[in-house]
Amino acid sequence: MTTVTSARPARPVHRASSRPRGRRRGLHNYLFLAPAVVFVAGTVLYPLGFNLVQGFQSVGLAEIVNGGARFVGLDNYRDQFTRGEFWHSFGISLLYTAVAVALSVGGGLGLALLFNLPLRGRDQLRALMLLAWLLPTVVSANVWRWLLDGSHGLVNAALSAVGLIDGDVFWLARPDAALVAVTVATAWTLAPFAMILLLAGLQGIPGTLYEAARIDGARPVQQLRWITLPLLRPVTLATLLLCFIYTFKTFDTVFLMTGGGPGGATQTLPIYAYEQAFTFFDFDVAAVATTVLLAVPVMLSLAYFRSLRGEDRR
Amino acid sequence: MTDSRYLRAHRGGSAAVALAAMVALASCGGAESSQESAETITLWQYYGDPSSPTGGPLYDFIDRYEQENDGVEVEVRFIPAADFDRTLLQAAAGGDLPDIALINAFDTAAMAEAGVLQDLSDRVTEWGEADAYLDTGWATTQVDGKTYGIPHVADAYAIYYNTAMFAEAGLQPPQTWDDMETVAAQLSDGSRAGLAVSGIEGVEGSTGLVIRMLAAGGEVDQPDSDAGREALEQFTTLTASGALSEGFLTWTEDDVKNQFAQSQAAMMINSATYVSILREESPDLQWDVALLPADEERLTYLSAENLTITTGSDDPDQAWDLIEFMQQPDQLAEYLPARNKLPARDDVPDTTDDPARAVFADQLAKAWAPQDTLATKSGEVFTFLQQALQAAVSGAATVDAAASQAQSDVDEALAQ
Repeated sequence: MTTVTSARPARPVHRASSRPRGRRRGLHNYLFLAPAVVFVAGTVLYPLGFNLVQGFQSVGLAEIVNGGARFVGLDNYRDQFTRGEFWHSFGISLLYTAVAVALSVGGGLGLALLFNLPLRGRDQLRALMLLAWLLPTVVSANVWRWLLDGSHGLVNAALSAVGLIDGDVFWLARPDAALVAVTVATAWTLAPFAMILLLAGLQGIPGTLYEAARIDGARPVQQLRWITLPLLRPVTLATLLLCFIYTFKTFDTVFLMTGGGPGGATQTLPIYAYEQAFTFFDFDVAAVATTVLLAVPVMLSLAYFRSLRGEDRR
Repeated sequence: MTDSRYLRAHRGGSAAVALAAMVALASCGGAESSQESAETITLWQYYGDPSSPTGGPLYDFIDRYEQENDGVEVEVRFIPAADFDRTLLQAAAGGDLPDIALINAFDTAAMAEAGVLQDLSDRVTEWGEADAYLDTGWATTQVDGKTYGIPHVADAYAIYYNTAMFAEAGLQPPQTWDDMETVAAQLSDGSRAGLAVSGIEGVEGSTGLVIRMLAAGGEVDQPDSDAGREALEQFTTLTASGALSEGFLTWTEDDVKNQFAQSQAAMMINSATYVSILREESPDLQWDVALLPADEERLTYLSAENLTITTGSDDPDQAWDLIEFMQQPDQLAEYLPARNKLPARDDVPDTTDDPARAVFADQLAKAWAPQDTLATKSGEVFTFLQQALQAAVSGAATVDAAASQAQSDVDEALAQ
């Protein structure tokens, strides 16, 4: 009971009509916001700014430890943008991301359509599917490594059982196969996430539309083409964007499965940045790479929000 | 013993709580500033936690120091090797360095140049035991004529071979790399490879190539040389014939040990670290150790750690005292066999009478380690060598193209 009575007096602030309201109330509001602002500033803005600044400095091991980095203007950017390795990593990153996103959103859509049907046990299956997404990457990546192992892997055992391959194939030791493998592994993790978002979108489409379509004689494929896909467009776009952001910055799956190899075949931009910073101690180069890593999703997000505004106006 | 190790591993946490309590007391006002009676020094290492075969002996070693030095507490923190440099740098930038860091010998020069490590030259002169150390190991502690660390242990790479398979095939361990190619091919069949070695992306996977280049009398910073191309060519041939599984490009040294332990490979190139691990994990496996094959040279690759005092140490005198203790020959004689490492100095009595250790000790006498500029840039150079290896073996580039690419990368790194 005491808690109830003590909780009440907190409210009358609004009733004190005699006080000068505007400013003081504003100040209060800001005060309540302060912890969040401090938190965001400390954990997001500061590191972000620090990283941006490092991109314009010459930062090696000594500067990281003792400070006193020299400003070099755009030198780091000029150096990186004329370097084959950088563009190689950038290209690998884009390819890996594009294919993984296409696979996971395509797969997610298929799963969502499936689980939207009135099937028995679909809730349980749906929950089971989510496991792939919930699994810690260190587990899933190592499971993939094991599945794809040349001598004892399940994938090889299955493929040779049906006569598709002969002898040991070391998927992660071959440049093209390794890139395919990390892409598929990423899509496998991400597809259930896309499924959940798309399923929510599917369930938001009014059933009356389908009823009307059926009365008009529309077949299931036509319903999908003319009702489901158009109405799912906003959710699909958001899912695509989220999956892109997630994949473009993925480090752990690739690092654990191949470390960027073989011969740089899976060296995405995050791996490139990691290697520059923590193997080569070239923190300035890493800062350029991570800035690009940030810039691409930011530009995509801006384009997305602009298209949203355009759609609102329509 | 195990309990006390765990206690120490968690002492960091309780120290933080104690510190917080002290701060709270002091800020209440009126509280006397209390002094901790025990001296605490901190040591960071990447060997392992107290329960691991590689970490345990170090914790025991530190226990012995604490028993002999009443009132001194050593707080040991294990940081996995992959995170070690990063954590140390972050601590340096944040002004939170430990007293002692047990670091990779090849990183010593870079860390010293960055100002993470204290110059120990005066202490070493006063100590007067520098002459006892093997030259290659000692050289890794030197930057511009100053000493920044003391070699803690040494290790080398040699050939482990499955004696049962060799006996069955009537073969002897290879003496040259041509020999290696023949022997490995003869020992391999569809399900088994002749040789296993780590070739994984990054520094770790460069060891085999470096050893092969050294054997041909090559310089490690000259991949685009006869020795470099010969080495790349040989790994390509070994893989193509199945004498070395193509999977080696994805194997760490641990994976290599597993291949050997499961009789998937008749030989492996690995360090002495695995002697006791093999004995413990695979007691039935029949194996022995042989020197590396030699063409021009029988050089091995040094694998070692140095004990260093950081510039952030609060108590460098106490830290030096611990380092001195850890380098006493009779202490090392007890520690090294348990840790499966070799002494970095020549006055440690070997009481074990262990033939495998004797071979490693012989091999260690001819060890190579990067010096001067190559030492500070070793991370980069080894990474480029490994990339050349992967590119050549996986067929992403020809041997010539891979060697020339590696050369231009190495040259650029060394010119910086």
